[in-house]
Amino acid sequence: MGNKVILLGNEAIARGIVEAGCDVAVAYPGTPSSEILPAVAKYADELGTRTAVEWAVNEKVAFEVAATASFTGKRTCAIMKQVGLNVAADPLMSVAHFDLAGGFLIVSADDPGPHSSQTEQDSRYFAMFAKVPCFDPASAQEAKDMVFDAFDLSEKYHMPVMLRPAVRVDHCRQDVETGEVRDLARKADFKKDIRRWVCLPAHVKINHPQLNAKLDSVREDFETAFGRYNFEIPATGKARIGIIASGVSFSIVMDLLKEWKREDVAILKIGTPHPLPVKMVEDFMARHDNLLVLEETYPVIEMQLPNRTKLKGRWNGFVPRAGELLPEVIRDLILKALGEPVPDEGVPELKAAIEEMKVTPKPPMLCPGCPHRASFFAMRKALPTGIYPSDIGCYTLGVNQRDVDTTIDMGASLTSASGFYLAYKTDGKDQPVVATIGDSTFFHMGILGLANAVYNRHAFVLAILDNSITAMTGGQSNPNVGEKLRQGDEGRRIEIEPVVRGCGVSFVKVAEPYDTADSAEVFKEAWEHAKANREPAVVILRHPCMLLRQKQARVKVRVNPDKCIGCKYCTNFFNCPGLPFDEGAKKARIDERFCVQCGVCIQVCPHGAIEAVEGEEA
Amino acid sequence: MQYIIVGLGGQGILFTSRVLGHIAVSRGERVMGSEVHGMAQRGGSVISHFKVGDYSSPLVLTGAADLLLSFDQNEGIRNLHFLRKGGAAILNVHAPEAMENPHIKSFLAERQIKAFCLPGYDILREKMEGRFLFMNALILGAMCGAGAGTLSIEEVRKAVEKLAPAKFRGDNLKAVDLGYEHFAGK
Ligand SMILES: Cc1ncc(C[n+]2csc(CCOP(=O)(O)OP(=O)(O)O)c2C)c(N)n1
Repeated sequence: MGNKVILLGNEAIARGIVEAGCDVAVAYPGTPSSEILPAVAKYADELGTRTAVEWAVNEKVAFEVAATASFTGKRTCAIMKQVGLNVAADPLMSVAHFDLAGGFLIVSADDPGPHSSQTEQDSRYFAMFAKVPCFDPASAQEAKDMVFDAFDLSEKYHMPVMLRPAVRVDHCRQDVETGEVRDLARKADFKKDIRRWVCLPAHVKINHPQLNAKLDSVREDFETAFGRYNFEIPATGKARIGIIASGVSFSIVMDLLKEWKREDVAILKIGTPHPLPVKMVEDFMARHDNLLVLEETYPVIEMQLPNRTKLKGRWNGFVPRAGELLPEVIRDLILKALGEPVPDEGVPELKAAIEEMKVTPKPPMLCPGCPHRASFFAMRKALPTGIYPSDIGCYTLGVNQRDVDTTIDMGASLTSASGFYLAYKTDGKDQPVVATIGDSTFFHMGILGLANAVYNRHAFVLAILDNSITAMTGGQSNPNVGEKLRQGDEGRRIEIEPVVRGCGVSFVKVAEPYDTADSAEVFKEAWEHAKANREPAVVILRHPCMLLRQKQARVKVRVNPDKCIGCKYCTNFFNCPGLPFDEGAKKARIDERFCVQCGVCIQVCPHGAIEAVEGEEA
Repeated sequence: MQYIIVGLGGQGILFTSRVLGHIAVSRGERVMGSEVHGMAQRGGSVISHFKVGDYSSPLVLTGAADLLLSFDQNEGIRNLHFLRKGGAAILNVHAPEAMENPHIKSFLAERQIKAFCLPGYDILREKMEGRFLFMNALILGAMCGAGAGTLSIEEVRKAVEKLAPAKFRGDNLKAVDLGYEHFAGK
């Protein structure tokens, strides 16, 4: 039985999914959820289960594939990051009303902070909106345990169930107990029944009240039968404060109390925030006058309480309404709630030093040698007066060199280009617009925007930055790569060019980003074509991602100090970690710690100061 | 025992916490840590929290860390506030004069923090053909050489030997030894 191993939280969740007998697992990558699906494939291979494991092209697709597979009686799950659930919101709202057959688990990973996301939204709110039950783990072990309960609950009430791990659970590493696989030996057996599987208004009239009744029953279960996730830790002495906490905030409180050895703090831990076991919380509230609620990131527990006037929480702003609840934030909140002095961080000296030395956090940048940087450089060179709507991927970091003017969400580079086109067109102006999008994002949500632009005849340039990988999230496969996750599974690669042509685009050219002069020409030609023909023109900039570590020619470079005039053109418009500006010498220099000898910067300097070192060209 | 490990994305910080974790587990201790994946890894500031012992949360409270392992000077300076009174820091520095800043000196003195600085880039440039990816092993060795923390050089060598990919095992061990020798016996 139980064998303890150190796992990443996401691996613990994956292990739970495989052990719980899940037959179909589908996901689209996104931090902090990305490591779950590859780990599902790894454990399925190791343990020899038959689990189907797939990257879908986007979250809506993943959700619908997995949900429908559960209609046959099998256990299935869909995995995504919080903003992925926005994309899957449509099926989520519908499927919540269904009387499911097999267990269906939704894993939606949240990112309070945020660390790697475009919002700080709370998936538990979505669970509340869709009326589905939600588990909120406080540790990797609990996340794994909850996977089993979520499946069981889903099958007890025939409804989808959500697991909402936040980033500190996804990316924590701790010892976790592994177990055996529950072989459920389910056979797919789809029983036709239009009341269950066709979401007609007439069926909603039956299914919605039924969903409400299910939620009432789940709430009752959460009040009574889930003591391992919802429990009280009474104060050892007389309580002066009652803390209601969920997720990793609970774990942080536990560590603080242990360190403080306080006897006047009572805790109510909530692991099932929706539907909230209201009676349990109200009972706790009745016994404590000073109440603090700690949850991430929205006041979801608070929102479900009929009377929250007594609570110090996110609702009334006692707890900051945004941001991650880090240990020091929680420490200060508890002390403030108790009316005790908050410790002065006592680091004015350090602050002064940091200010004096101008030590700032280093923002993420495109990697040295990244083909996106070269593509952006060519784009700006060709169309310097352009507007540059972009998308979500590594290339969003092009914002550092101002090659990204807008990003909204995945796929919006194209639709924003359409928006700019229409706005300027109504003034009778030909405004150059270049949309940039990555290969994974193109397949995720780009194709529809392209079809729309072709149909409506929008003139702009679409640059598809094809690095043959989903890089930002750690290098997953996608249709443009064609590989699958489980051993022995074979996928099929879909080429970008025929897809683009199939959408009706007549100008499709491929360029090598490292040759910035040539790709700049292609950009110019594409814009002329788009303008003349009133249609989008597509440039595919193809060069493998540096993370793939493919062999390429190395060109050792140096900055010739006699030619460098210190104009900062290279730092402003190329912005490579291997080519910083030396503020002392007032000249650019090569930082050998980062330079990967791609040689592209030689083409960048308008004064020819960046030179190949003779005799070292490979 | 609470560690904070800081540096820049791509410097191999995750390997360091794997080594610490491996040793703790082989000693029968519980571990817990928090890592950075995703956007933050693209060359930007990266911080790993790592705790050995009976803890519930993976995060270290500011002012509570026993040991700061820093792969980058600026990141090290930015995160000194994590150290508790009497803690220690192993810092890769490229411009040692920064550590002479009077504010930093008085902060360290006030908290009785021992700061062990080593010119990691110079060492790797001279002794390992400038292969800076071995900074993580170098810092681990330096930690033992400085006598900071509770791990012996034998334990660290054994864990690195076990966890490093076969192709780089020898180089990793060499870097551990270089870090160790920089402080040991001084
Ligand atoms: C709806 C949604 N799902 C997932 C993500 C996470 N995510 C950020 S960038 C990205 C993909 C980037 O891949 P690609 O477009 O190929 O660009 P690259 O990073 O390779 O340059 C993903 C999946 C997200 N931000 N939004």
